[in-house]
Amino acid sequence: MPDMLEVTAYALQVLLILMAIAIVTHKNNGTIIILIAVFSLVTASLYVINKAPDVAIAEVAIGSAIIPLIYVISISRQREFIVLDKAMDDFIISDNSFTGVGYIFLKRFTDFYHLELNISNDVRLCSLGAGRDQLLCEETNVDLIITKDEDTGKYILKGKESSILMNKLKQMAKDYEMIEVVTFKDRDFGD
Amino acid sequence: MDPLLTFIVILVGMYGLSTSKNIIKSVFSVTIMESGVILLFLNLGNTEGGSIPIVSRASEVIADPLPQALMITTIVIGSTVTALALMLCIKVFHHYGTVEWREILARGGGK
Repeated sequence: MPDMLEVTAYALQVLLILMAIAIVTHKNNGTIIILIAVFSLVTASLYVINKAPDVAIAEVAIGSAIIPLIYVISISRQREFIVLDKAMDDFIISDNSFTGVGYIFLKRFTDFYHLELNISNDVRLCSLGAGRDQLLCEETNVDLIITKDEDTGKYILKGKESSILMNKLKQMAKDYEMIEVVTFKDRDFGD
Repeated sequence: MDPLLTFIVILVGMYGLSTSKNIIKSVFSVTIMESGVILLFLNLGNTEGGSIPIVSRASEVIADPLPQALMITTIVIGSTVTALALMLCIKVFHHYGTVEWREILARGGGK
């Protein structure tokens, strides 16, 4: 009778190669995340067969729980476009629903790039003065800041100059008279 | 158990890295290659007929505990490298509006 441990080891090796090929060739990201978790479990059993139970414990905890979690969070957060609304009037919300001119404009822009629009009016961030808008864009993950010019009544959208998305936003804003797009210059942090 | 298996796993990861069209797919491939390297190290430390390196259960021949200690570190650091790569991927997406390698090059990336 052949040694059962050896047979299991060979079966797991074949399974490991099949899983690796499946991960590399599969198209759907959600399926790949599940495959990564299963791949980690197969490698953990191979570690035990290689007389390393301590490494197997670490691999089960990190490889099959934390890494898929990181992938899920990053893939779902990737498509968020975060807008900070400092104006807080009927530009975004009119009649207690998202039907303002600005909301329709931003929705058209985010649908073009298949992004998810996330409008926030966090009190702590909104209370900062206008001079700190550039710092806010650089240090937090806010993509766009909406402010209102009290003299002309125009709405000013502020974002980073380096982003290609901002160029598209500038082009789209030409059709609207009340919207002006301003971009911050990138500062050199290299020196 | 032979080292050829680990070579095949690393090769599959290399294939995925060179043919992936997407940044996230490249990060997946790096994860696979890392598993292959860990298997190679544990395989080299494992001697024929050895037992697990726990003192009360050890026979005369034990598996080498040094590569095992190093490989636990590799697993932890590999997870942080994955997290960092995915964070950069989100930054790239917000900069160029896509995560496809070819599209990024067409929009002036990599200069």
